Amino acid sequence: MTEGSRPAIVARGVRRAFGQVLAVDHVDMEVRTGSVTALVGPNGSGKTTLLLMLAGLLRPDAGTVEVAGADPASSAVARSAIGWMPDTFGTWDSLTVTEVLTTMAAAYRLPTDLGRARTTELLRLVHLEEFAATPAHALSRGQKQRLGLARALINYPPVLLLDEPASGLDPRSRVDLRVLLRRLAAGGVTVLVSSHVLAELDEMVDDAVFLSRGRTVSSEALLATTTQRRRWRLRSLDAEALQHWAFDHSVTLYPDNDAPVGGTSVLVELADDAAAARLLASAVAAGVPVASLAPVSGLLEQAYMSLDAERR
Amino acid sequence: MTTDTQQAPATPSERTFTWQGVRTVLTLELRQRVRSTRWKVALVVWFAIVGFVAALLPGLVGSSSSGGGTWVFGLILLFVLGLGLVVSPTLASTAINGDRVAGTLAILQVTRLGPAEIAVGKLLAGWLAALAFLVISLPFLGWAALTARVAPWHFLFVVLVLALLLGVVCAIGLGCSALTARPAGSSVLTYVAVASLTVISLIVFLVSIPAVTTEERVEVLTVPLDANAECEWVQTTRSVIHTERTWWLLAINPFVVLADAAPARGPESWDYGPLDAIKEGVRLARTGDQPRYDECWSENYPAGVTPQREDESSDTSPVWPWGLGANLALGGGALWLAIRRLRVPYTTLAPGTRVA
Ligand SMILES: Nc1ncnc2c1ncn2[C@@H]1O[C@H](COP(=O)(O)OP(=O)(O)O)[C@@H](O)[C@H]1O
Ligand SMILES: [Mg+2]
Repeated sequence: MTEGSRPAIVARGVRRAFGQVLAVDHVDMEVRTGSVTALVGPNGSGKTTLLLMLAGLLRPDAGTVEVAGADPASSAVARSAIGWMPDTFGTWDSLTVTEVLTTMAAAYRLPTDLGRARTTELLRLVHLEEFAATPAHALSRGQKQRLGLARALINYPPVLLLDEPASGLDPRSRVDLRVLLRRLAAGGVTVLVSSHVLAELDEMVDDAVFLSRGRTVSSEALLATTTQRRRWRLRSLDAEALQHWAFDHSVTLYPDNDAPVGGTSVLVELADDAAAARLLASAVAAGVPVASLAPVSGLLEQAYMSLDAERR
Repeated sequence: MTTDTQQAPATPSERTFTWQGVRTVLTLELRQRVRSTRWKVALVVWFAIVGFVAALLPGLVGSSSSGGGTWVFGLILLFVLGLGLVVSPTLASTAINGDRVAGTLAILQVTRLGPAEIAVGKLLAGWLAALAFLVISLPFLGWAALTARVAPWHFLFVVLVLALLLGVVCAIGLGCSALTARPAGSSVLTYVAVASLTVISLIVFLVSIPAVTTEERVEVLTVPLDANAECEWVQTTRSVIHTERTWWLLAINPFVVLADAAPARGPESWDYGPLDAIKEGVRLARTGDQPRYDECWSENYPAGVTPQREDESSDTSPVWPWGLGANLALGGGALWLAIRRLRVPYTTLAPGTRVA
């Protein structure tokens, strides 16, 4: 995608209250076409509510949303362009997996044979072929999540809105999901994914939108968190040698409270990977037996924690 | 491998009401229903109950030669309607809020399906299910119609009216399920609505009789003291019951609609059954008490006065078009409500409900 292309999702000053509860206070965001963007925020920060408004199910009290160039509240164009996966998976009790998908295809007014072909294709994509004739309610939670994903993809949507798609998935399926979303994005699909499985998001998202108490955290603040110094965990076999080296090179060591038992490990603050490489080279040159040097947490997680802190 | 997700669909037309959309919802709902064992059990139980009643009735009301056939037909018809009014609410009264609770409503609303397609599809599914009950009652109804010598055309007509009445109940159930957040609430509401149409309206009619009764000066054609003289008009004060103000309470009753739509009674005096009784009753009520009474029992009428029988003085035009019309309007209103409530995006949400 070119830099100048129009954002697939635009929200301006969006606000939505349920009675006294202000679920979404003020959301401004743009999601680049063809990107995978994370929607990150603590429980109750308004992620689901925001996605409902983007899917055209809920009318904002104020502000405007635009998906695929149209207002999802009124436009069939926008509706056809959106694939929405809700966070709670509900399905029709006695329909088989195949019937769930063909029904959805019909609801999107795909021709019957195209709907059937698409169903077969998607079942293969989410590895549910052997459950094609199983009643949907008999699936496990993770399998249901995958069916939900297939359901959201039925209409070839150029914009995907996924609400906590990774919850309930086993590690293998998470990797599959990551690969799938990356591949969709490579094909030009815009993916907005809300999740709290931050380690997973870290590896697959291009951008992140942070929500805190219904407000998007400004992109400057986000930029600050991504470029801020991260903490790395340094493990060595010789605590004394490590401390001498640190003193000589005036490296600040922080106590590692979450250290794995039995290890000699400390925390250091580093600006980037290059700094990490330099630190490692220096320590090894000084004869410190370094076992490992790794970031403590992902960037998203660090940003998330700073959001979480402001949650009172 | 990237093509599997990127075949741009043809430019969509703005959403309209299409038969294809209705059929999508209808098939979905029917598949759900037909596969549940509860449904099969209900059909079997229904068949057994109607069959049992049909077998029992002739013994209770006498053989067909003495007019028993008319009674059996009338009673079975009313019984099937009554049973239908009990069963139909369960077929549609949780169609919308039940789906919302199960999380399956929003995934349809987010598609290209319009609210009218969803509502009509659900209504048709409920109605078809109700008709299935009617269809398995047909052997008994048909047999009773034969013994009562009801013309086939008339029989079909009555069954059609019965089918429409069940459809109205389904529509009311659908409307209630759109109105209430909890499925239990809408079931109760639907039963209250059905009871209002059938029992409560009748009770209100009866209770309101004193309220529509007035003391009025009336003219009575009466037999004079000398029984051999001509009858004469006398002014007197009587209690006059103005049921012509409240007859509509009876007319909206599905039982009355059905009875009134039933074929006219046969020429024989014994061709008189429960349907005829209801029919006469409601038509009398519509006429109300007249300001003139013919009590000339001696049949010694003065010149220029023609004898007047009560049933002749009353308006005998059919009542069922009004009743059926009112019922259909009610059902239509309920459907309209359901469609309105299914529109997305939601502006307001009922307290305690989530979209998904
Ligand atoms: N339908 C609703 N009625 C009342 N309050 C709601 C409703 N939906 C969400 N909320 C409230 O709005 C806030 C945001 O909810 P939600 O969007 O579900 O957050 P998230 O998905 O980020 O966890 C919460 O405080 C929640 O209780
Ligand atoms: Mg949520």
